[in-house]
Amino acid sequence: MKKRIAAITLGLASVALVLVAMPAQKKMLQVKGSDTMVNLVQILAEEYMAKNPGTALAVLGGGSGTGITAIINQTCDIANHSREWKQKEIDLAWEKGVKPRFFVIAVDGLSIIVHESNPLEKLTMEELGAIYRGEIKNWKMVGGPDKAVSLYGRQSNSGTYVFMQEHVLNNKNYSTDMKEMNGNAQIIEGIVQDEGGIGYVGVGYLYDKEGKIRKGLKILNIAKDAKSQAYSPLDKAAVDSGNYPVARPLYQATKGRPDVAAASFIAFETGPEGQKIVEREGFFTIGGKDKEQNDKNLI
Amino acid sequence: MARKTSIRPLLIFGLVLLIAGMMSAQQTFNTTVYFDYTSYLSQYGPVTSVPKDNFFAFRRAYFTYENKISDNLKFRFRYDADNTANLTSVDIKTGSAKKDDKLRPFIKHLYFDYAGLLPNSSLKIGMTPTLTFESAEARWGYRSVAKTLVDGYKDITGVEIDASSADIGANLTGSLAKYVRYGVMFYNGAGYSHAESDKYKKIAGNIQLIPAAGLSVVGYMDYEKQDKDNSATTYKLDGYLEMVQNLTIGAEYFVYQNDKNLIATKERYDVSGLSIFGRYIFNPDVFSLFARFDRYEPNNKVSGDEMSLVIAGLDWAPFHKSMKLQPNIGFMSYADSAKKNDVVLNLTFFLSF
Repeated sequence: MKKRIAAITLGLASVALVLVAMPAQKKMLQVKGSDTMVNLVQILAEEYMAKNPGTALAVLGGGSGTGITAIINQTCDIANHSREWKQKEIDLAWEKGVKPRFFVIAVDGLSIIVHESNPLEKLTMEELGAIYRGEIKNWKMVGGPDKAVSLYGRQSNSGTYVFMQEHVLNNKNYSTDMKEMNGNAQIIEGIVQDEGGIGYVGVGYLYDKEGKIRKGLKILNIAKDAKSQAYSPLDKAAVDSGNYPVARPLYQATKGRPDVAAASFIAFETGPEGQKIVEREGFFTIGGKDKEQNDKNLI
Repeated sequence: MARKTSIRPLLIFGLVLLIAGMMSAQQTFNTTVYFDYTSYLSQYGPVTSVPKDNFFAFRRAYFTYENKISDNLKFRFRYDADNTANLTSVDIKTGSAKKDDKLRPFIKHLYFDYAGLLPNSSLKIGMTPTLTFESAEARWGYRSVAKTLVDGYKDITGVEIDASSADIGANLTGSLAKYVRYGVMFYNGAGYSHAESDKYKKIAGNIQLIPAAGLSVVGYMDYEKQDKDNSATTYKLDGYLEMVQNLTIGAEYFVYQNDKNLIATKERYDVSGLSIFGRYIFNPDVFSLFARFDRYEPNNKVSGDEMSLVIAGLDWAPFHKSMKLQPNIGFMSYADSAKKNDVVLNLTFFLSF
């Protein structure tokens, strides 16, 4: 009996040793999170892997909340998130011994879109907040046609959902009439088919494969208040200067100081080659201050 | 019969919630199942008292439905199934009652969760998880392999310690800055599998201090009057170390005191135990190792009844994280020299989808 037990224990230990060795050889950098960022980071990863043979990255969406949770639970290497961490997420990371480091890899002018037949050209932040809170239910209340407003937004684990709630809705609840879509593409599909529709998407999703604004959409200009000039999210100078009021940084987080593989990829993304791709994909490049902070966090 | 009576209204309530929830957008469905191929490598102690030495057995099947109604309000409905939940059925031909071993579902969780009562808090009302071993279960992470200390020995020792993983009541948890977490719960005390049988309610509380990132100490206590003259109290202290990436080390110690637990001389006996466990993630969602040591004292007034468990195994997802293989081996030793050690080999299959 003792021999049998010893043999089984030895067998389990041997299997464990073999399996421990296997994953080390096939280590793949796992990147997870924001749906707004998933296409951009996938393209960055493809170009990075092409330039660095032998490297392997897997990029998944799921929403900013999913990526942040994965970093806290140490089930991914890099989280993509289009919003800042919530206090309870920072607290949970502390509890689990994770000291995240943050990097800004791009800037997004969050775009407010309506159906192309809507004659409206601009909204103020106050009007936009009131529309999404369900206080304005007809377009004529903001100078548009006599047509019911049809709201499109993201699901609640999306960073874009949270960003809009914090910065546009003044931390109040969305209207219960809002259709919660699983991605930017679904919002665009909804708006294209709905003459009363309004939605918000990352600026990178406005373009088709030929680099033109997708058919059926109109992008509204947004003003900080009734006295301010309204700006387009496509106006890089307005986004850089902060005049376009619905702009936001797009972040990545690592579980502590990034290891060599993660640091190398982030350095590529935030360096000249990566930033060219960022611009090509319709997002805005990071400023000098963010670049400086990124470099500090890589060390 | 008590189970049947308590579950029917809950079932109706659950179905109403389910239908209401289906009309909303933020819904998730999840199923978790685990079953074993078990081989007893010895035949001596109480663990191996069954007259068979290798077999497949389903142990748990969970079906969970969650709905986020608004940013502050969500609800959860969870069916659990195991073959200890058998209801006695009646054979129509013979008119006799008989019992089988089919897996049958019962309600495990059915609660609303409201996040707006206090800053950084969560108020759960309904059939909710208790505070007793929730944090230890989360750190150990292998309920599929073995329940944690306070929950795991009731069946083996036959000593009821009045601790259930879920119960009907109200449960408030939250955090005060990043250094402190708290929890309080007011509930029946009968557990999710029994209707309340007396007028006394149980109150439980815990406080978790996190002085450094990845270092937690949790103090827990619960209290319930048993009758006019007697009461029961559980004291528990946990420590968790998660300061090294991918490594979790945990320890639990508890004492259960019930004035109704008396030996022949009318003295109260206490139940206690110590558990130390660890797990290391080599490749997230792919491969981990785990090990645990328990020392359990079912009666401090009797010598020679202590038992120890050493369990070790690996957690491997060869194809996808939804399907894991968790082969593990457990050694149970007894202070009673008349008993020889138990050795149990399990190949645990863990499915989540």
